[in-house]
Amino acid sequence: MSQSPSETEAAASSTAEAAADPLTGFADGVADIVGGEAHVGFGTVKVKVPADKWSDAHLAARDQLDLVFFSWLSAIDWTNEVEVGDPPGEEVEERIELLSALSDLKDGNLVVLSTDLPSDDPSIQSLVDVYAGANWHEREAHEMFGIEFEGHPNLDRMYLPDSFIGNPMRKSYPLLSREVKPWPGTVDVEAMPDQDGDDEPSTENPES
Amino acid sequence: MTGIDSETIRHLSETSVSVELETEDMTLNIGPQHPSTHGVLRLVARVDGERCFDVKPVIGYMHRGYEKLSEVRSYPQITTIVNRIDWVSGYANEIPFIVAAERLMELEVPERAQYIRLILTEMARISSHLVFNASYPLELGAATPLFFALRERERVLDLIEGVTGGRFHPNFNRIGGVKPAYGSGSTTRKQPQDLPAGFLAETRLAMDKVLESVDQLEDLVAGNEIILARTKGVGIVPPEIAAAFGVSGPNMRASGVAFDLRKNQDYLPYDRFDFDVITGQSGDCWDRWDVRLREIRESVKIVQQAVDSIPSGPLQAKVPKVIKVPAGETYVRAENPKGEMGYYLVSDGGQGPYRLKIRSASFSNISMLPWLLEGALVPDIIAIMGSLDFVLGDVDR
Repeated sequence: MSQSPSETEAAASSTAEAAADPLTGFADGVADIVGGEAHVGFGTVKVKVPADKWSDAHLAARDQLDLVFFSWLSAIDWTNEVEVGDPPGEEVEERIELLSALSDLKDGNLVVLSTDLPSDDPSIQSLVDVYAGANWHEREAHEMFGIEFEGHPNLDRMYLPDSFIGNPMRKSYPLLSREVKPWPGTVDVEAMPDQDGDDEPSTENPES
Repeated sequence: MTGIDSETIRHLSETSVSVELETEDMTLNIGPQHPSTHGVLRLVARVDGERCFDVKPVIGYMHRGYEKLSEVRSYPQITTIVNRIDWVSGYANEIPFIVAAERLMELEVPERAQYIRLILTEMARISSHLVFNASYPLELGAATPLFFALRERERVLDLIEGVTGGRFHPNFNRIGGVKPAYGSGSTTRKQPQDLPAGFLAETRLAMDKVLESVDQLEDLVAGNEIILARTKGVGIVPPEIAAAFGVSGPNMRASGVAFDLRKNQDYLPYDRFDFDVITGQSGDCWDRWDVRLREIRESVKIVQQAVDSIPSGPLQAKVPKVIKVPAGETYVRAENPKGEMGYYLVSDGGQGPYRLKIRSASFSNISMLPWLLEGALVPDIIAIMGSLDFVLGDVDR
């Protein structure tokens, strides 16, 4: 990283903002070093980095920010047409958002790094050389979302049988048990015992 | 003997052995149904004499697809799913999920409810660590500690059952508070819902008993030469390896890293209580046993302080009849008995999550196994696996 002037600048501005929200200052400092854009919300720091900087960003986070603890890696399938659950409240850009959570082992600061991949052919550099723990998490993401991790030693199946077809955590993958029996199932028509009539069950059965 | 150091002697003996005995590699399969695997874990190892190489853990026999399932469930229904992840400490699994939902809703949870959550979480930790203290010596061949540990664990589980109605799967947390079993039901629903009468006194008594039995366990296990010989210096995990693999909780603290999410996260009011972060020195199997045993004492300290200072008041914040969580994303992590347990909750404003990533401790903890078991002696496999204290429900989710 050859941005030492901008780094010191960021450090100065982050201390000024730290008075308002300590997380914002921390997030901006991280975003500057890994080369991304910081979002802070509900106590969680998320830094969005470009997909081609994914591996470099993790290297910088590990070596320069001391975020040595690899917590997890996973993905979100953002799509407006879903087979299961509800579609997002607002129209979203269709993409696979890859997330990884890194933490330090002193103050408990945690950063979620995120990057966008195209839904039809998601592919990215593997993190196995940066964090050994990424191995199993990437295998899981490969199987569940169909993300290709370049340079991963073995992207074998982790949970599913070898004959399984599809990526079950994609929103386009139907949940078979739900196809067979809608939830709440028609047999579950008995209402929950309510308390003084003010604690009604939160799930309404459309067929009762 | 002068002139030759021990390294050279070992090298010479090893080469001479391999020249004399042309050993053939063998594949050793352990599990998936083996008592030491804490569920259904399968290990495939290449064995050269007494040492194993290329260990491949095969998981997935317990995969229940909770992340997918939670996308079609409403928030109140999900607590029934998540407390089945690590069933040895089912109660503790509910906390980070409920706190994540509350954080997105910006709810203020009543103090008394937070204290009850904290007391029960620590009881879940005590019961989980007692199970470890029962099963680990048993796996090494010592059966007696099991009876001491499970007797006290039953006492703790009875208390949890008294409050929540369930021993393993309490399903006790509601968004905005807690809902004790006592006082609910069709006949008694007019009674005020609170902790059952005598709960606090019973808890004080139980904590004294737990402390007593921890001392007994320490005598039994730490005084056992065979256990010492099988665990000291076996399965050493350096702290930097633990961090890179995401190994958390007591397994990481045994390697000397004084990191405890109870000290730096605010999911429960731990900052009001005085307790120590227990660490080990060398990160071997012995330290992992020792850290868990001493952590029981710290948990007892927290419970005793919480019982003495629990405030009175309501147990439930005002929440709407139909719970809808505003759109947003948050990650809440908690120090569970097995390590860092966290939920990345993505809400789109509906009655159920758009995406729920479940970060469970045992998954990352045993992802280290291929590294840790490389070159280990075959009988040490059991000693090392047992010391990591994993549960397959927590691995597969």
